[in-house]
Amino acid sequence: MNFTAFLLKILIALLLLFVMAGPALAAVGCDLNDPDRDVARFFPDSSGYKTTYMSIDKRGGEALLRKIEKRLGDRFHGIYETIDVPYTIYEIHKGSQKIGYIHGVNQKGQFGGIQVFAALDLNGRIKSFYIQKMTSRWAKKLRDATFGRQFTGMTLRDFEAYDPATGRGSGKTAELRNPAPEAEQDFRASLRALKKNLILMDEFVYSTERGKP
Amino acid sequence: MISRFQIAYKNLLRKKARTLLTLVGIMLSSWVLVSLLGFNRGYEHALNRDIDNMGYQLMVMAKGCPYEAATMMLQGGTGLRYIEQSMVDAIVKKPEVDKVTPILMQAFFDPDKGDGGGIAGYFGVEAATFPAMKPFFRFRQGGWFRDEQAAEAVMGYEAAELEQREVGDMILVPEKNVELKVVGILERTGGQDDGTIFVPLKTLQKISATDKITTIGIKVKKDADSTKLEASLYMLPDVQVVSFTQVKQTIMKLIATARVMVLSIAIIALLIAMVGVVNTILMSVLERMQEIGILKTMGAMPGDIFLLVWTETLILCTSGGIAGIGLAFIFARLSDILVRRILPYSPGGELVAIDMKLALLTLAVIVVVGLLSGIYPAWKAGRVRPLESIRSE
Repeated sequence: MNFTAFLLKILIALLLLFVMAGPALAAVGCDLNDPDRDVARFFPDSSGYKTTYMSIDKRGGEALLRKIEKRLGDRFHGIYETIDVPYTIYEIHKGSQKIGYIHGVNQKGQFGGIQVFAALDLNGRIKSFYIQKMTSRWAKKLRDATFGRQFTGMTLRDFEAYDPATGRGSGKTAELRNPAPEAEQDFRASLRALKKNLILMDEFVYSTERGKP
Repeated sequence: MISRFQIAYKNLLRKKARTLLTLVGIMLSSWVLVSLLGFNRGYEHALNRDIDNMGYQLMVMAKGCPYEAATMMLQGGTGLRYIEQSMVDAIVKKPEVDKVTPILMQAFFDPDKGDGGGIAGYFGVEAATFPAMKPFFRFRQGGWFRDEQAAEAVMGYEAAELEQREVGDMILVPEKNVELKVVGILERTGGQDDGTIFVPLKTLQKISATDKITTIGIKVKKDADSTKLEASLYMLPDVQVVSFTQVKQTIMKLIATARVMVLSIAIIALLIAMVGVVNTILMSVLERMQEIGILKTMGAMPGDIFLLVWTETLILCTSGGIAGIGLAFIFARLSDILVRRILPYSPGGELVAIDMKLALLTLAVIVVVGLLSGIYPAWKAGRVRPLESIRSE
């Protein structure tokens, strides 16, 4: 190979590396405040966890965003619910065996951001529902374990009929009780966040595991 | 006619592996050198920018731990103790003072932030005096408060992003249960302001049930003697004065030792690379003794041979230097990340600042040192006796 051409190829490779490695001005994600403690709380028999990061942008771009919005029944709006939001997925292990996932999303609430986490088994069934952060006069009631227990055992299928725009649903979602009627906006925001959470997990994890693109 | 450069280039290509290894040596040392010089300048610029972004050069606050005060300035934080707002009037009269702004920093406990709760911090500022201290602020949405007692808030970009707030949304001050309307969201500044929620001073004083403040930010007039001003501020009762010049000097002292060590390593790397250059060129000369002898019999003067060999050194050093500087440009972000991981405090912005001026300066250093290293092999080549070299095996 020509010596000059060889050097040129090295420089081009380095340039490509630089372009690909450029950091993006990423939007804010949703992480557990204390993953070690929280993983042990949601999965008491777990022995460890692995963290992976996904974004709609990297997994399918605009087409995936449209698909998720259609499944959600609402558009992604505001300046923070964007295609490049990094989603943190905690893959939970017991020894060498995978036993579930924890995933959280940010949601706009009445007085601030709400962080809604779901601990899921390998079939996408909710084991635990957890609001990590919420600013509201009635946050205590919505963050209470009694409210969270209503979601245990539910799956994305139960939320398919739930419309975040109207706050109406059928089946199990129609039975969900708001412990703080004064905080209807935050109650609906929590349900929208959970539905979005489950759809994202289905697109990022379960559909891949089922072998469907 | 074939030029001297073409001959030198072809000579270097004869031993590709040797030339490549020498080039790599020069390239690595120039990479280290330019990155280090870039860091040397970038860090100071970034620190100055962070300090300039504070808007004021001096801060007056109630007596307390100066290290906490310094941390508060650089990383953000809550006020230590209160001072009387009347002190602002005493300070503004001083001849060296250009502008003054009173600040009240407050933190409220939010039980619904995580499991154990968390702190929500607020900056009470005057819409009349504070924006002048931060002329670089740009609004992503909205603007400053409409009046000094409005139940309104301006959010730094990251604070707004975390709380998912937009102009027109409401925020709730935890503990106090007070609602504020978001009227402005700032663009990213890269500093502590990104995570700050600004509230009109009087509103925050009302919420906190106090008429005091925690800090006074002072902008000194251009060409005014800030040391003299600092000394006069110390005469005020129960206050401490923190000057950003002091903070900067302390930080620069902290990193000076590390900088000297790395600079020494860079110089050693450069010397090793130059020994490589001498070795390569000398080997090349010794291998071409007969050829040089023939050139001389054909009329080449010692100066011509000297220049020919020196041109090889020039090509090697220039190519290696340019490649190394190119690498430094390409990997400047990576160097930035590494430096940030190592240093105890890193200001925002670009830490490794490499520009064309610095690149040319480094290239000049590499070429000059390289040419100096190439004198001996070139001189030796120029002194070759034609007949002796042709006869030799």
